[in-house]
Amino acid sequence: MIKLPSIHIGKLSMLLAILVWLSLLFVDLVRLFGILNELESGIAQEFTWILEILFFLTVYFFYNYSINKNSQTDFLNLIWRAASTGIVAVIVSIMVNLFYSLLGDSNLINEPFLRNFFYHVNFALISIFLISSALLWKHLILYQKSKRVVKQWQAYEFAMLAAMLFIFFNNNSLDYSFLFGLVILVSLGIILSANLKWIPYLTFREKWKSLLFLFIIIICCGYLFYQVLLFSDRSKFIVNLTDNLFLVSLFSFIFIYALFCFLVTLFNLPTSSVFEQKLTEAINFQRLSQSIQPEESEEQVLDILVDSCMSASYADAAWLELGDQESTKGILQERFLGKELKEELSDLIQNQKAAQDWAVDNRPENLEPLALRLNHNRFESILLVPLVINKSAIGRMVLCKEVRDGFNKEMINIISTFVRQACIAVENHRLLNQAIQNERYQEELKIAQRVQKSLLPTKLDHNDSFDICAYSNAADEVGGDYYDTYKLDEDRYVLIIGDVSGKGTSAAFNMSQMKGIFQSLIQLNLSPAQFMIKANAALSRCLERNHFITASIFLINTTQKTVCHARAGHVPTLMHQVLKKKSDYLGIDGLGLGILRNKQYENHVEEKTFSYTSGDVLVLFTDGIVEAKNEKSQQFGFERIRTLLEVYHELSPKEIQTKIIDSLHAYVGGDGLIDDDYSIMVIRFS
Amino acid sequence: MLTIETLKEENYDLLIIKGEIDASNSVLLDEKMQEMKNTGSKLILVDGNGLEYISSAGLGVFMSYLEDFQEEEIALKIFALSPRVFEVFKILGLDQLINIYETKEAALEA
Repeated sequence: MIKLPSIHIGKLSMLLAILVWLSLLFVDLVRLFGILNELESGIAQEFTWILEILFFLTVYFFYNYSINKNSQTDFLNLIWRAASTGIVAVIVSIMVNLFYSLLGDSNLINEPFLRNFFYHVNFALISIFLISSALLWKHLILYQKSKRVVKQWQAYEFAMLAAMLFIFFNNNSLDYSFLFGLVILVSLGIILSANLKWIPYLTFREKWKSLLFLFIIIICCGYLFYQVLLFSDRSKFIVNLTDNLFLVSLFSFIFIYALFCFLVTLFNLPTSSVFEQKLTEAINFQRLSQSIQPEESEEQVLDILVDSCMSASYADAAWLELGDQESTKGILQERFLGKELKEELSDLIQNQKAAQDWAVDNRPENLEPLALRLNHNRFESILLVPLVINKSAIGRMVLCKEVRDGFNKEMINIISTFVRQACIAVENHRLLNQAIQNERYQEELKIAQRVQKSLLPTKLDHNDSFDICAYSNAADEVGGDYYDTYKLDEDRYVLIIGDVSGKGTSAAFNMSQMKGIFQSLIQLNLSPAQFMIKANAALSRCLERNHFITASIFLINTTQKTVCHARAGHVPTLMHQVLKKKSDYLGIDGLGLGILRNKQYENHVEEKTFSYTSGDVLVLFTDGIVEAKNEKSQQFGFERIRTLLEVYHELSPKEIQTKIIDSLHAYVGGDGLIDDDYSIMVIRFS
Repeated sequence: MLTIETLKEENYDLLIIKGEIDASNSVLLDEKMQEMKNTGSKLILVDGNGLEYISSAGLGVFMSYLEDFQEEEIALKIFALSPRVFEVFKILGLDQLINIYETKEAALEA
């Protein structure tokens, strides 16, 4: 495979242009020789024309490529490129003229071949200047292009192509068809020259520079055109290249567009500061609306706000205060004034009746900026601007100017817009932070939920004498229900179920205390009643005054087949007795833990021992089940649970538990939420 | 909804509770009880006729004043509780600590 080297269009077209120019020079010299010596050189003038057109095209391709490559360059650079090319062309032309004037009466002055050589050099430079300038103008004209302008430009390019070929038609003579073509091309050029949208985007300095460059281009254009007119002298320049419709109409186009630009830029100069101002305002506006990222602080937003407002109103000084006007805690932004001057002005403002009325306006969302005159030796007018977030004023900004009545309606309007935007940014910033904070709390709650779940036993202690299962559900992320088991020895097991008053996080904390107390006290081998007494004493020191815990504790002895039981204010436990063939609540008195925080509690706790037989079922639960309400606000109640157990007592504990929970959910209703924690533990003796 | 009305009678203060007391509004009950305590009342009667439901948080409020009332010799009497609400007091054992009566007259006579 032959590997083709990658073609560099820029270099290739430049090389081609040089080659074409050299061959053009050669062909013309040969032709000249033929004409002078009245010999038939065998080269028709069409050959010159074809080479000329080829030269134009190669130069066009070279510049088209090189300008597109650097299309990022700014306007000033583009104009400078055109101007510099013009300067080079003019300097070379002047040097050639100088050379001839220095020759004096030398024979060389009439040497046609040398003259022809210089003529070709001039021709090449003029062509390069015109074609490159036209392509640069194209960039300017097509700035912020519309479809219509693009079409106009394409039409112009086609017309120019036609103008190149026109030479075959009129044989390089000035006739009416030449004039006709010129008029059409000049008109097209004028139409295109109306596209000057790039000029307003220049800054004041850039405008001055571009005026200078445009002036250079106009001068170059004029001088080179004058030269071309001189070349028309047939006696000196026998082979003529420059009396070409293409070149002449390009001259007119470059000149007209440069002139238009020059004049428009000149007349734009006085208003350019306004345009720049509007542009800065737009940029400031964008900065304000973009500054709502959480990592940006409020202070930065206010900083941008003060700067934007000052530049919008040409204020000489300003400050911004947040919070109560009296307090100095708020974030302060100060510009071009000190603390003392600020206080001096604050006092002056405070003394104005209008400002007082303004400050006490009880509907801050309707508050408008207030312009005031001031009796101050430096600042004669000020503008008070309220900062309103969420219908409440969070502070104010004060702009000061050294001229009287310095704030006009337009300024106040734009400042109001800035302030509104900044306030939205600040508000969004606050909301965003709040949302992030909330999310963090949610995360924390999830952790709490996980931790609390781990406080409930996953494995319930038991032996072959009884089967057990349990379930707990919290209304919120965390809850206050508690159940646990403890194995005293091979035959003795302790079960406990508890309910902390209240719900949510506070209940969850107390529930974890209850777990600690149970796990420590139960190891002391206490009887149920003694356990309650000790637990009450311990909890009295742990719980807040208005919190309490209810609990039921069961000590199961599987060899004696007895259950010893104490209740501390907890909902009664349901028991199904096979012998009696019925389910009933265990009747036993007992005061909740943490209610009586002294020795008297001992008088309020009972302990009962009963024996069980195989098939008996115990159902421990919390009040969340009993108090769950249906749509009619009726509670699930004790009786429903009792009936359920009477029906299903032969099932396994797990099945009994499922029956009760399912029927609870059915009672509450499909979407009805049980708004309290509820737990259940089922034991079946075998 | 919970409304608590207070009436100052000649030798006792009357607290008329209507609605449901739960964790969200138990603060209201606490405020009223504190107010009673601060005005130097010696006998507080609570009319529980309109009390439809009381959660553990509500019971916690009554409970938290027991000791203070005992110290300052303030008598707290509740009357006319619905059977269901009375059951809640009873299960917790508060009926042993707070005097609960069927009627206002019974409460006043005792």
